[in-house]
Amino acid sequence: MTDLLSLQGLSKSWFGIPANRDVSFSVREASVLGIIGQNGAGKSTLMNMIGGVVKPTSGHMLWRGLPYEPAGAADATRIGIAFIHQELNLFTNLSVAENLYIDGFPRRMGLIDWKRINERSRQVLSRLSLDFDPSVEVGRLSPGERQLVEIARALHNEASLLIFDEPTTSLTPRETERLFATIENLKSQGCTIIYISHILSDVQRLCDDIVVLRDGELVSKGTITEFPIPLMIRSMIGRDMGGMFPPRSNQPQGATVLEARGLTQPGVIEDVDLTVHEGEILGLFGLMGAGRSELARVLFGLDKCAKGTISLKGRPLEGPVRAHIEAGMAFVTENRREEGLMMDASVAENLTLASLAAFGRGPFALIDRDRVAERTERMREELNIKASDIHSQPAKALSGGNQQKVVIGKWQLRDPDLFILDEPTRGVDVGAKYEIYSLIDQIAARGGGIMMISSELEELMGMADRIVVMNRGEIKGQVLRQDFDRERILALAFGEIAE
Amino acid sequence: MSSSPVPRRELKDKAVDLLLSDQFVLYLSIFYVLLLAPFLPMLVTPANLVNVLSNMWPLLIVAIGQTFVLAIGGIDLSQGAAIALTSVLGAVLITGAADPATFANTPIWGWLLTDAGGPLAGVDHGVVLAIAAMLVAAVVIGLINGMAVAMFAMPAFIVTLVAMMIFSAFALWLTQSGNVANLPDDFIRLGRGDIVSVYFGAKEEAKIARRAIYSLVTYPMVIAMCVALAAHMLLNRTVFGSQVLAIGMNRKAAEISGVRVRRIIIAVFVLSAVCAMIGGLLFAARLEAGRPTLGGGSFLLDVIGAAVIGGTSLFGGKAKVIWTFFGVMFYVIMASSLSAMNLSAFQIDMVKGGIILCAALLDVLRTRLKRERVR
Amino acid sequence: MKRFRQISFGLALAASTVGFGSTASAANICFAFQDLETEFWVASHKAIVETLTEMGHSVIERNATEDVNRQLEQVRDCVAQGVDGIILIPQDGESAVTIVKEATSNDVPIVVFNRPPANNDNGVIVVADNAAIAETAAGFVLEQAIAAAPSDAKLHAVVIVGDLGDTNAIQRKKGFEAAVAKFPERFDVTEVASDWDAATALANLEAAVTAKPKIDAMFTSSDFLFPTIRSVLEPRGMWKKSGEEGHIPLAGLDGDATACKLIKEGYVDATGVQDLYFEAEASVNAIVKAIEAGETDPNEVIADPGFALTTANLAEREMDMWGCKLLAEGFLDN
Repeated sequence: MTDLLSLQGLSKSWFGIPANRDVSFSVREASVLGIIGQNGAGKSTLMNMIGGVVKPTSGHMLWRGLPYEPAGAADATRIGIAFIHQELNLFTNLSVAENLYIDGFPRRMGLIDWKRINERSRQVLSRLSLDFDPSVEVGRLSPGERQLVEIARALHNEASLLIFDEPTTSLTPRETERLFATIENLKSQGCTIIYISHILSDVQRLCDDIVVLRDGELVSKGTITEFPIPLMIRSMIGRDMGGMFPPRSNQPQGATVLEARGLTQPGVIEDVDLTVHEGEILGLFGLMGAGRSELARVLFGLDKCAKGTISLKGRPLEGPVRAHIEAGMAFVTENRREEGLMMDASVAENLTLASLAAFGRGPFALIDRDRVAERTERMREELNIKASDIHSQPAKALSGGNQQKVVIGKWQLRDPDLFILDEPTRGVDVGAKYEIYSLIDQIAARGGGIMMISSELEELMGMADRIVVMNRGEIKGQVLRQDFDRERILALAFGEIAE
Repeated sequence: MSSSPVPRRELKDKAVDLLLSDQFVLYLSIFYVLLLAPFLPMLVTPANLVNVLSNMWPLLIVAIGQTFVLAIGGIDLSQGAAIALTSVLGAVLITGAADPATFANTPIWGWLLTDAGGPLAGVDHGVVLAIAAMLVAAVVIGLINGMAVAMFAMPAFIVTLVAMMIFSAFALWLTQSGNVANLPDDFIRLGRGDIVSVYFGAKEEAKIARRAIYSLVTYPMVIAMCVALAAHMLLNRTVFGSQVLAIGMNRKAAEISGVRVRRIIIAVFVLSAVCAMIGGLLFAARLEAGRPTLGGGSFLLDVIGAAVIGGTSLFGGKAKVIWTFFGVMFYVIMASSLSAMNLSAFQIDMVKGGIILCAALLDVLRTRLKRERVR
Repeated sequence: MKRFRQISFGLALAASTVGFGSTASAANICFAFQDLETEFWVASHKAIVETLTEMGHSVIERNATEDVNRQLEQVRDCVAQGVDGIILIPQDGESAVTIVKEATSNDVPIVVFNRPPANNDNGVIVVADNAAIAETAAGFVLEQAIAAAPSDAKLHAVVIVGDLGDTNAIQRKKGFEAAVAKFPERFDVTEVASDWDAATALANLEAAVTAKPKIDAMFTSSDFLFPTIRSVLEPRGMWKKSGEEGHIPLAGLDGDATACKLIKEGYVDATGVQDLYFEAEASVNAIVKAIEAGETDPNEVIADPGFALTTANLAEREMDMWGCKLLAEGFLDN
């Protein structure tokens, strides 16, 4: 097999600070290369250099053995490099076919040749064994299907190297399966793939070779057989982690924090009973669309429920979100960017958002800046938020893990009794995940009740004291920590058994 | 220059610092004046500076109200109509006399307005009461705008566009496009009264020509500075202000964090209408008449343009009163210089439009620089 | 003096103040006008600017585009620039008072052209005697209507009034009313509001004509509405030349080029003419006189008696009318 792309001593510095240093590796043709590394390890800069968006400070690249010096992203596209991004770059208001041809519509006699477009589109889709009509609007497709459309666009542009950056973050397990099958299929058709992911089991399953980056440098590489998952983690974080999860440091106590009875919202959740105790981490598992996030929204007062009661520490709860917050609830939503953070605001501004009123002094509620500085600084230390200056650095400049810490810290400032955490480690790299887990453990240890929603069963099994499983809006059963069993939980989630 | 050349990056960093600083538009204004002064010496004469200032105050107050609405990612097109309506209302209440030839066929003739003027003419503290009534009208306008935007989730653009049409037509209808003059001196003083004036010149001059006396501190100045200071504190120092900006940056996140989003949106529109009313009060006072056509024409362009030049983002979440202050200042200086160049009204509007466009481009540049700096 | 103004701020602090009453052989005159929407204002603007430049004065022009606020600011700017005098065409009577006060209280003489302020307390006011002109023009067509009708018939006259916030409009309406009063009990009058706006006039006139289509005489407060009147009358077969069956005696006021043409063609019988050239010259003379005399607040009213151009006197007075002059210069050809 020949090398499709080789990097030779590639380096890039931003204002004198190296983002990549002397990175050299090759991608074999018709193989899948996995690139792993924590956030900030230099993956994106490296990809941007390959994609022609960023010019290397030194080093060079070879494409099929010839020098490759892209002047811009268009050069990369021209020779056949395509990116499948984390945030999809599709026009949701246009059809699949229009998205495929967005760079230039074929014309006949001055008019757009729709017949040819639809024919060609159908061919490309069938190469990916996709059976939907090219005229369907992209906005009506699921995230997984959209991703496949993005791949179809790459194929349409005759890409020979496809770069996937965290492709599975917004996919259901079933869609993930489909994506993997597609990638295998592409490989067999001769496409070369670079696969970047935090989900190491996926990397292990999919890739032929591995490249590990740390602090901008290539720390190790080899074939997948040489890299069991613990070694991957060790290489990424540069030390042994002693397991993925911190040991739980407390036992749940008896007192009930949250009690929900008979919550029903037609078509979404059905007669849900739920309790969370002090110091308990309750895991809520279910497949996508099982109603987990919807249940969380109802519990937090964001959505109304038709029937049922919610009480917190024995007091019944109703009314708007505010009432729930004041009663002692906190909600870390699954969508950090859109619902959790003000990306352009500073870390401190984000931290104080939920407790602003508490910082008001006097009849005009003037903000007590000293107290803000003191409390936010304390929170930064407590949560180990890595930011240069919490008063000037915007949230969007932080890594995913640190952003999540800010969202948690925002609620911590209110010292809530119940935390609802929806996908708390989504988009967070391995090292930071461990920190988030520790944080969750500490909150529980101080007596807080936690309801943790996740699609990663391993995560729930590692952290939860009890796992409740949902399927199609109903609770199918619960499993205590001592009885945790992967097969059984999944069976509950697929609705194959019920208690 | 000297033997040790300044590293280029350092210079570039300094330039970026300047571009990103709060005072950038102030520096720009100073630079602009210095650049033009040799060609247009009248620009820096005390008389012109006094003019520039007096043109600045009412506009500043209105633009401050707009700044709050822009801060939540909205826009208030109804400010001009609020000015028209409140100025007419206030003037009708306190006017000392009304000409039947103009007003006899208005819907308010007879019961509100008569030959002898409005109901508050000659009443003790009539001016205060009239201003209170204007305030109430402004609050009502703001409430209508705010409720429509907050409760029914309608776009601010449409809501305030409709409000603009309705309220300005209402003001025209009330007086059948008549201007309400004969306002009491107490009212007029608000628009043009000097508190401190100065005379630059020789002491031995027997009779000082009036136009050699320059007003330094005027009522509009005092009022505008008070409004600006209060608004600055409100937006950048209080819980309310932080919540306003939070809504502008990410409404969903603010909602989930327990911010009373609707209530604040309503409050912001009320604030905007009230600021418009205060600015309108100054306009009406200096023109010595309530006018249903005040705040029309390209006035809104001036208000939004000045706020945007200052650096307030049209997308919300990024606003400071001090920016608007400098924005208005630059805008007024620019307008004064353009008219000093003897350009026609049409050329002036074209140049103004171009400068607002540049400001918007500059904002994009600043955002990008900020992002790069963060890396 | 102009030179003095160009000395920088610092010097101005030290230097002694401006001397007033200096001879103004070449004065700096600020000409602030509200807009140039109709041909009357275009002709006025041209007459004033040309007269001033011919006399060797320099003119600073300021167009307020119908924004009174802007006009106030522009006049203040002119004062700050140190002009010697101001000629103002205001937007309306109320703002004129304020602006005139602004100028006189800063010791700058000001002349108000054609649109008088709501009071005559300050400034030189050059104004057409609109009431008298309207009376003459309206009287001409009312007489024609009387002559054409049986002696006891009740006749119907239509008057299109302007924006009654404008003193000119009020005066013209009064003039019309005075003309009607000369024939007691003979006329029913329909008043049509125009607000000086062609669209408004069109709508209201349509309504009026539909309601009461028999019209014996019509007077419009301004000539610029003749095309509007035509568009209402023509489809109804009521737009006829003088002498033709169904001709409505029609009079206007202003004396613009269209009116001149229509009188020549016979569709219109009379138009009251403001003697624009007289007014422009009077304004320019007044301001120059005040500047030379060092008078900072000259206060007088200069009335323009005007005249009515009718089908009867067209031959001898044609060239005194600004509209006919424009017409002769080919104004309507393009």
